[in-house]
Amino acid sequence: MATAGEDERTEELETLQSIYPELVIDAPFAAHIDLPVAPTVPLPVSFEPIQEVHRIAYLPPLRLHLALPADYPAEAPPKVKLSTSLSWLPPDTVEKLEKEAHALWEEYSGGQVLFAYVSYLQEAAETAFGLSELTLLDSVQNELLQYSKRMKRELFDKETFDCEVCLEPKKGSVCYRMERCNHVFCVQCLQDYLNNCIEEGDVNNVKCMSTDCGKTMPNGKKKERLLSPKELLRIPLPLQAVERYAKIKRKKKIEADPTIIYCPRSWCQGAMRTDKYPKIKDVREMDDSDSEPEEPVEPPSDKQPTVSGLEKRMVGVAGMDRLAVCEDCTLAFCKVCLASWHGDFVRCEPRDKNQLTEEDQASLNYIMRNTSPCPTCSVPCQKSYGCNHMTCFQCKSHFCYLCGAWLPPENPYGHFSNPRNKGCFNRLMDLVEGDMGEGEVQFGGARGAEQMADFWEQEAMRIQNELNAQDS
Amino acid sequence: MSASAKKRIMREYGECMTEKPAGMKINFDEQNMTKWEVLMDGPDGSAYAGGHFKLEIVFPNEYPFKPPVVSFRTKIYHPNVSNDDKGSMCLGLLRPDEWKPPNKVVAVLRLIQSLMVEPNIDDAIEPSIGNEYKENRKEFEKNAKDWVKRYAK
Repeated sequence: MATAGEDERTEELETLQSIYPELVIDAPFAAHIDLPVAPTVPLPVSFEPIQEVHRIAYLPPLRLHLALPADYPAEAPPKVKLSTSLSWLPPDTVEKLEKEAHALWEEYSGGQVLFAYVSYLQEAAETAFGLSELTLLDSVQNELLQYSKRMKRELFDKETFDCEVCLEPKKGSVCYRMERCNHVFCVQCLQDYLNNCIEEGDVNNVKCMSTDCGKTMPNGKKKERLLSPKELLRIPLPLQAVERYAKIKRKKKIEADPTIIYCPRSWCQGAMRTDKYPKIKDVREMDDSDSEPEEPVEPPSDKQPTVSGLEKRMVGVAGMDRLAVCEDCTLAFCKVCLASWHGDFVRCEPRDKNQLTEEDQASLNYIMRNTSPCPTCSVPCQKSYGCNHMTCFQCKSHFCYLCGAWLPPENPYGHFSNPRNKGCFNRLMDLVEGDMGEGEVQFGGARGAEQMADFWEQEAMRIQNELNAQDS
Repeated sequence: MSASAKKRIMREYGECMTEKPAGMKINFDEQNMTKWEVLMDGPDGSAYAGGHFKLEIVFPNEYPFKPPVVSFRTKIYHPNVSNDDKGSMCLGLLRPDEWKPPNKVVAVLRLIQSLMVEPNIDDAIEPSIGNEYKENRKEFEKNAKDWVKRYAK
């Protein structure tokens, strides 16, 4: 019953407003409020006529218009009207929800029901008002998806995260959520880490930093997905770094593939054209989830695809197609003799092996002097950090950085504690800070012998030069 | 070393001060914060009980993207610690390919403590000690305790 001065309806609306400050009172006994719709399980929505299903986490709010008649609450229920922008909520659901106001009012037998009703709507929104899926016209698709994305970003920006790397609390607006695993780091740490990996060429570590990431596979190895160039740009990393990343990743794959031959022009040395590793056109479009760092290279099969109908007559040995085309300079050359293409019916001339440019000779010298070859796959390795027990980044063989010996995986350290291995005994932790390629590593074994021979040769030359200088 | 790396080391030290991990004492020098000295007690019930071990933790310039380097400055008879004047360790978390930036020094220290209770024989840096642990536990414990008496009192 209305008491003198204050109307019961005004009082109820004011109370409601103190609970929901976003409630707008339009007229003495009318108000409206927007209730956010963020179902706990994103709602699957498909858009006609395309049958693509999107799971939408944030839908445009449900607007509730309230009007309180003069004999509310004792004699009449509140008048409610529900609507959604883009009218995404189906009319029958709207009707059902509106009817609930009446039912509640009856249940409360003429008491104040506004708060109970708003709570009811909020609760119903969490389960998407009982909807299990939704079909809408594709004309609203963009707007709906944009809205959800914007809301997600806004809420994320307002949140605070403890970055696990710098250990500082950071606002969401300077954080990034990893697309695949949802781990959150601050952008600064992510950039530092990823740029560092890419700069060092350590592309196999371009992945989420979290310790939870990467499931341990049944074989005990961790398998983690590398980040796609597109995602790196979103973090954002500079375009240049992302291009380098994509390039190195592709190069590693090509290098691991024994069937790829390189262009014989010393100034070019591009790989031969192949469909297996498409050239990088634009990293901004590279969404590849390709990510196994080490895909097994399929051995070239000798089987020719059987063509139905007319059978093609093959020339020479099957699978011995000699023609290759350089992907960089488009030179057509022979895979066998590396001369420019001589046609199918010419025998290959032996090639001259001393055709290295000065630059190549210099890098070859560097590699010979400052790297240890993997005993299994011969890939040259330079230690950037850690002990001298190495695991090959390409084939995972265990070996000794000092003498290049293969080490048994079940006991790789025995090598360093056996006094018989003179060059390596007790030297597991030599140069733990990494080999900077400045000749500070004293290699062991055959490598050490080469190194020593080289040293004495240089020494002899130096002494000879000094003597010559004295003589003249 | 970058400012953010220094900040992180400071923060980790702060955490170690508030949550004092049991069984160890950390000496921290603000002038040289990339080198910590830790005094670790041999865990009760292990062969190292009663001993005090000095450890050195060196943070690389790229920390926390690369792991800290740990070495025992007190000699210890243990399959996972190199039996030389370096006392190095190179396993689990401490391997560059296993390390992840969110890992903290405390986790490393806990790993060391648990290794003192139960060595990791599969990744032994000293296989002869590892073998002894596996096949002649009595002899191993005798040797380990002997070393505690000799070096770690």
